[in-house]
Amino acid sequence: MILDYAVAVLLWLSIITYATLGGADFGGGIWQMFAFGSGKQAKEEREIITQAIGPVWEANNVWLVYLVVGLFTAFPIVAGTLAISLFIPFSLALIGVVLRGAAFAFEESIPQSVDVHAAFGRVFSAASIIAPFLLGTCAAAVASGQLRPANGRIPVAVFSAWLTPFAIIVGLMGLGICATLAAVYLTVEAERQEQPALIEAFRIRALIAGGVTAVLAAITLGLSPFEAPVIWHGMLDEGLWAIALTMAIGLATAAALFFRRFRLARVLVQMETAGIIGTWGISQLPYIVPPDLTITGAASPYPTMQAFFIAALVGMVILLPSIWLLLHVFKVEEKPPPVHEKGLEKAT
Amino acid sequence: MPNLLAARSQMGLSLGFHIIFSALGVGLPLILCIAEGLALLRKDGSWMALARQWTKAFAILFAVGSVSGVIVEFELSLLWPRWISFAGALIGLPFAMEGFAFFLEGIFLGIYLYGWNRLSPVVHWMCSLPIVLSGLFSAWFVVSANSWMNSPSGFQMVNGKAVNINPFAAILNPSTPFETTHMILACYVVVGFGTAAVYAAGMLRGKRDDYHRKGLLLGMALAVVAIPLQIVSGDFNARFLEQGQPAKYAAIEGLVTSGYGLPLYIGGIADPTTGQVYGALEIPHGESLLAHFDLNSYARGINEIPAQDHQTAGSFEAVHLAFDGMVFIAFFSLLVAVVFWLLFLSRKRRVPENKLVLWGAAIAGSLSFIAVELGWIVTEEGRQPWIIYNLMLVRDAPNPAQWITVSFIVFSCIYVLLGTTLIVLLLRLARRPKTPMVWNEFVQREEEGEEQRSQGLERKKAGAR
Ligand code: HDD
Ligand code: HEM
Ligand code: HEM
Repeated sequence: MILDYAVAVLLWLSIITYATLGGADFGGGIWQMFAFGSGKQAKEEREIITQAIGPVWEANNVWLVYLVVGLFTAFPIVAGTLAISLFIPFSLALIGVVLRGAAFAFEESIPQSVDVHAAFGRVFSAASIIAPFLLGTCAAAVASGQLRPANGRIPVAVFSAWLTPFAIIVGLMGLGICATLAAVYLTVEAERQEQPALIEAFRIRALIAGGVTAVLAAITLGLSPFEAPVIWHGMLDEGLWAIALTMAIGLATAAALFFRRFRLARVLVQMETAGIIGTWGISQLPYIVPPDLTITGAASPYPTMQAFFIAALVGMVILLPSIWLLLHVFKVEEKPPPVHEKGLEKAT
Repeated sequence: MPNLLAARSQMGLSLGFHIIFSALGVGLPLILCIAEGLALLRKDGSWMALARQWTKAFAILFAVGSVSGVIVEFELSLLWPRWISFAGALIGLPFAMEGFAFFLEGIFLGIYLYGWNRLSPVVHWMCSLPIVLSGLFSAWFVVSANSWMNSPSGFQMVNGKAVNINPFAAILNPSTPFETTHMILACYVVVGFGTAAVYAAGMLRGKRDDYHRKGLLLGMALAVVAIPLQIVSGDFNARFLEQGQPAKYAAIEGLVTSGYGLPLYIGGIADPTTGQVYGALEIPHGESLLAHFDLNSYARGINEIPAQDHQTAGSFEAVHLAFDGMVFIAFFSLLVAVVFWLLFLSRKRRVPENKLVLWGAAIAGSLSFIAVELGWIVTEEGRQPWIIYNLMLVRDAPNPAQWITVSFIVFSCIYVLLGTTLIVLLLRLARRPKTPMVWNEFVQREEEGEEQRSQGLERKKAGAR
């Protein structure tokens, strides 16, 4: 029981980590779309985005993979249910993730010709919009309690669960979060490269994207009583403090941006993302897929949960020193760090 | 297209794509590690240049491996939700551990890639060891999950539910030692012959320098160690199958009817419906002899197995041909490797530059990839009609969603796109000017080293013109 919750928390942390790291990658793609044209600033913007994201996307993907694996190990029924009823959005999101990854995998080695680069940029941008939007709608479909068996059968590849107005708003909120994360990270990056024009550009964008996200979040909250009643009641019962905290962090992020405390803003915007996703989790306790599958009810038998949890701890014990070593290696030299290093620092 | 066929096709396509990169991901680090080790030991620029060039190729291949791996991982749930709902609790664990192994591999690859000028040479070399190990573990974990599908264990079935689950017993199922050993060796076979093939092809096009000779030599060295082991281990696999999965065994040997003193069928179409084998080369008593070292021993054919447990139409024939293809490739490659080393040793340790040998190496390199694909066809098709042997039928497992065919078509296009882009990029990489091959140029460090290296390159290029 405790173990079931511990593993659920572990998976929720993977969602949060993936959102804050991978989400920024997607956000980078969204901003790349705005940086079209051959003007000097647009070119610099594109460059800084590639520089910041190129080296880290692979590491960020690991969290998504871990999430999928963790779900089918610890909550196999949930994995099966989601795969059947949300087959379409998950397949499309997967295509988005793959194209985005591929664009990066090939980025460093593709010919430096403008056309080819532009083509890759477009693939990347399109993929960056599809994936977070669809993952957002999937989250909404889960939260809204629409994935429930009718006559004992799981609904098969339905559109109705993830193309509701509620789900679309949540999908857009997903895009908003990614865009905000990326813009904030890019202010820090631009500050490090001492590019005042870029700092300003991304600061404004971060503020706008954050504002839009806040509005979308407010609409989501407003729709919840009708569209996601389980969550709404959970929120009223358990989650009010979490909402208040999340809102406060949101305001603090805006303030930090306004006063140009970019490093602080970076931490805050990560906390904000964690706040949003965490509030969702807390509100739907004890369910993992409301209103039928509870965390304890859907969990694998005890030996699996135990082994999964221990494996996670052992894995961390091996990984953390390795990550430390990686970062240490990049700090060895005094000379201005090459491109890849900057991104890697972000990944931690 | 029915869902079952579409799902199987998409799964097979995705795994067939992924396995190429994972085999390279497991095998390449070893050859990198050896090349860099030799470079340090002998202070030899060619070895170092090889190590660096391979690192660049490895970085691209690793990225494609990870992209294609994400697809496969999703597909386990997306295409086979009923299978995962049952099997997740049992074999999710090795996939989770593979995740950690992959992460570790990625981290040390990062250190390795960007650490050339930041770490002392020996420390840098040592960073290749964790890459080798984590690649090995990756392969071991995932293949143990596949082995479980072939010989499920670690639970008891009570009223259609798995109880008394023990995930570690599931990982250590009876097939695991055989399949994991055979797969890991396959990675080294592929990388050995694969690298040899690249440099053999280069030499055939007239690039007969020290760099190419050493590349060929190292590839062949790995190959000649791995291929005999591979054949021995494959033999163990087959013997295990005779007890463990009789229907699969009948399929690989093309045994349509049981009997004493059966011939060995090489090639041919073994038709289980008519009980005939068409067009095969028959070696009298060969099957009985090979299987039990007794000319007249008994061998079980598919006719002894209940009809509902037979492979789906076409699979039986395909498995036999795939198996013979794999075995043929094994012996062909062995021949190439042995001839190469005999020539090498008999000619005072000079790398043979005989056209025939070079062609042999180039062909063996490409064929060994095909052997891996064929081996997986044996394993996966031979298991039919079961997705989990004797427990769950494939036709009960696919996603009922009505979009699977569309999904298959879309993913096929993605693979075509990924595949062509990758090939174009690797060819470009091969044509790019090489890193310098003189030892002194490697030992200079830091910025000035960087500068001089590029100057050295300029000089080389100028010299070439
Ligand atoms: C370089 C590639 C390669 C080569 C040269 C061989 N194999 Fe293989 N074989 C594989 C690559 C492979 C593989 C792709 O790696 C498989 C698929 C599943 C596995 O574990 O290994 C495989 C599977 C596989 C199986 C099925 C195992 C199962 O389903 O449990 C058998 C019986 C053999 N092999 C037997 C042989 C024999 C007798 C060989 C030589 C005489 C041989 N293989 C050479
Ligand atoms: C990477 C090498 C692998 C290759 C090339 C491969 C190949 C294939 C192929 C060709 C199919 C379609 C089979 C058919 O038509 O019946 C298939 C199916 C499948 N494979 Fe594998 N496989 C590999 C490894 C694995 C592993 C490690 C697993 C681990 C669990 C696995 C799980 C499955 C499943 C669930 C199916 C669908 C069910 C079925 O058709 O039997 N495969 N694979
Ligand atoms: C059902 C079968 C398989 C699944 C689901 C799977 C899954 C994955 C995933 C998700 C990744 C990328 C990890 C990430 O980005 O976090 C990956 C990479 C990798 N896989 Fe697989 N895999 C399968 C089969 C295999 C097999 C049979 C091997 C063994 C040879 C293998 C070896 C590797 C390796 C070595 C990598 C690292 C990438 C590289 O080096 O190119 N995988 N796999």
